Amino acid sequence: MPPRKTSRPPPYAARQQTGFRIPPALKNLLRRDKLRLIVVGILGFLTVFWLLGKTGGGGSNSQAPNLPKVAIGSGVPVVIVTVVDPKADPAWTAKIKHNREEYARIHGYKTFFPNNDQYALSGAPSTWSRVPAMRHAMTLHPGTTWFWFLDHTALITNPAIAVHTTLLTPLKLEHHMISNAPVVPPDSVIKTFGNLKGDRIDFVIAQDKDGLAPNSFVVRNGEWAKYFLDVWFDSIYRSYNFQKAEFHALEHIVQWHGTILAKFAMIPQNLINSYANGPASRQNGEFKDGDLVANFPGCDKDGRSCANEQQPYFDVLEKV
Amino acid sequence: MSRSPSPQPGGWSSPGLNTPYDTGGRTNPFANSSSTHNVTWASAQARSAEVKGHSGFNPRGQGFFSKHFRRISTSLPLSYGDKEKLGRGRNQNNRVVQLLQRIGWHLWRLRRSVGVVLFIIFSIIIFYVTPLHRMYRRSTMFGGGSKYVVILAANQGGGVMEWKGPREWAIERDSVKNKKKYTKNWGYDLEIVDMSTKKRYAHEWRESWEKVDTIRNAMRKYPHAEWFWWLDTNTFIMEPSLSLQNHIFKRLDKITYRDINRYNPLNISHPLADEYLDPETRSPVGDGKVESINMIIPQDCGGFNLGSFMVRRSVWMDRLLDIWWDPVGYEQKHMEWEHKEQDAFEYLYKNQPWIRPHVAFIQQRQIMSFPPGACGEKGDDPNIHYQEKNRDFLVNMAGCEWGRDCWAEMYNYRQLSNRLNRNLWEKFKDGISDFFKSKKKEEKKD
Repeated sequence: MPPRKTSRPPPYAARQQTGFRIPPALKNLLRRDKLRLIVVGILGFLTVFWLLGKTGGGGSNSQAPNLPKVAIGSGVPVVIVTVVDPKADPAWTAKIKHNREEYARIHGYKTFFPNNDQYALSGAPSTWSRVPAMRHAMTLHPGTTWFWFLDHTALITNPAIAVHTTLLTPLKLEHHMISNAPVVPPDSVIKTFGNLKGDRIDFVIAQDKDGLAPNSFVVRNGEWAKYFLDVWFDSIYRSYNFQKAEFHALEHIVQWHGTILAKFAMIPQNLINSYANGPASRQNGEFKDGDLVANFPGCDKDGRSCANEQQPYFDVLEKV
Repeated sequence: MSRSPSPQPGGWSSPGLNTPYDTGGRTNPFANSSSTHNVTWASAQARSAEVKGHSGFNPRGQGFFSKHFRRISTSLPLSYGDKEKLGRGRNQNNRVVQLLQRIGWHLWRLRRSVGVVLFIIFSIIIFYVTPLHRMYRRSTMFGGGSKYVVILAANQGGGVMEWKGPREWAIERDSVKNKKKYTKNWGYDLEIVDMSTKKRYAHEWRESWEKVDTIRNAMRKYPHAEWFWWLDTNTFIMEPSLSLQNHIFKRLDKITYRDINRYNPLNISHPLADEYLDPETRSPVGDGKVESINMIIPQDCGGFNLGSFMVRRSVWMDRLLDIWWDPVGYEQKHMEWEHKEQDAFEYLYKNQPWIRPHVAFIQQRQIMSFPPGACGEKGDDPNIHYQEKNRDFLVNMAGCEWGRDCWAEMYNYRQLSNRLNRNLWEKFKDGISDFFKSKKKEEKKD
């Protein structure tokens, strides 16, 4: 027989005070609803796992290469790209470079001067090299937002104007851009979009008398820029007998591909590409004093001399 | 006797005469049923030991029956004791009935848990019998099936160019049925598009380059879908029980590859080496992240194959669809590019660097196995041809319209798929019929 309980029970044992105390309510719960507690616990555990699996499911691959990550906008605001001809008069080339460098120094920009024989063009005219040059500049300065291509026939005549504040802000772009205008004058059926927002613009260019004039244009760094430049540089276009090579290739892709037209802002010519001589746009293409740029399109061809034509402008610049 | 369980209202009960209800379901009344009427010291001791085995104090008479049992039982026409006696007497020798009784009693005792289990089983059955499981699989929250659209090209090359005979109709019917069943089961959307050659554009020379427009239209039609899976007519989904999510999209990092050098029938030089390109474009695997995959295509022995490929709704895809068809490219190359979009895309992949970091390749047999006759007569290349033992997902009877029998292939694969995906019951039935058939044969031989 097991021992009987004594008739005189001992006084209640003192509650053990060592360690932490479980609150009485919880203790009751633990004692009473053990099964329920276990079930709820397991369910909760599984839910947490399920949620974790849902959110963190697309875990990145460990094979991902270690690519440098530079945020666009962390570098200098603008990089000026000019493709130079190594066969041209070196003194003049030096002056052209100095013209850009001086402007870049004032506003904290950077410059990039690749040679026009630097890129494999597979037989296309050397003027095509402006396209890979822009891509190259983006590779070299991944933190920069805007890349301004300026042909070597152009001069910056008013260094006081900073493009990234007077032109390349969303508000200024929205103000300046010409909407609902034919992309190719005088009467292309493709017109620039009428309701574009300034912050969506990735490509800024002016039109001269003949059409789009990619001897001075601005591209915003990003995935779109890669797409745009690669499409423009497509070897079918390079080998196709476009009358004006990359000029017409550009007009072609802008008119045929909506994803390019949707990022494209056409601005008055005198804002980035006034012509000192050449087929300027009638309303606003001619160079006037105070314009940012004076361009001499074609001065490097047909026996003309850029150095001579530009001399008066250099003189003015040097005086200031 | 002082240690008997608890006083009944109206006196102490002797151990053997406890009513089963009053034991709170803790002691088994059958355990000492033989001695119900025969209280010995040993049985009383056993009972008291049982009582002592309790871990803590348990108040009795908490349940409804324990409280009111006496009242209810006395109000019944039969007296409890008589019934008990009758029951015991009758089944004393019948073991089966006793066993059944025992089971029944256990079930009653465990009615709560048994009820829960039954309820769960019932809900599962309801879930799969009603369209509820399709809704679940389709919902974005749970299954996510509405994120996937299957685009099935019907009538390829048909229309003005070719008459459609009964075989072509049958092929199309089978193919469509197969995809309809699959998409319905998994909650995907199916878009069947008519690819017959028609004068659809004002400039006739764009004829039959319609994949791009079709994908675009599908994207517009299903604005919430993310992935679009293009399928040619001559395809058959062999394993309808595999969902796209489990088969492909959850394992993208394992089953796709970016570096085309792993299998490169076109000898495309990769990665690009031009110094003017950015590091991501020059990297053989792009940024290597699953999220940057916007297009999944298989390669067969001749290069890219657009008989079964997947595209994702994205800005990148928008650009590709825009650039895929270009009038200059078309004018220059449409004689040379006899596979149309496929050749054009090969060209773009080779020549436009921005495309490479976002295209992933997938081993052909994951989404498009070939039957014998395509890429090799024997059909024994383990990288290309359908393998029954691996249960390949889909068969693409590519090129069957040139000198092979599309309908026979379609029929055979449909039968094979049905046979492979029989359920247990069907296998059982087939097993029995096979058994008898083989017996018959043996008899005939004899």
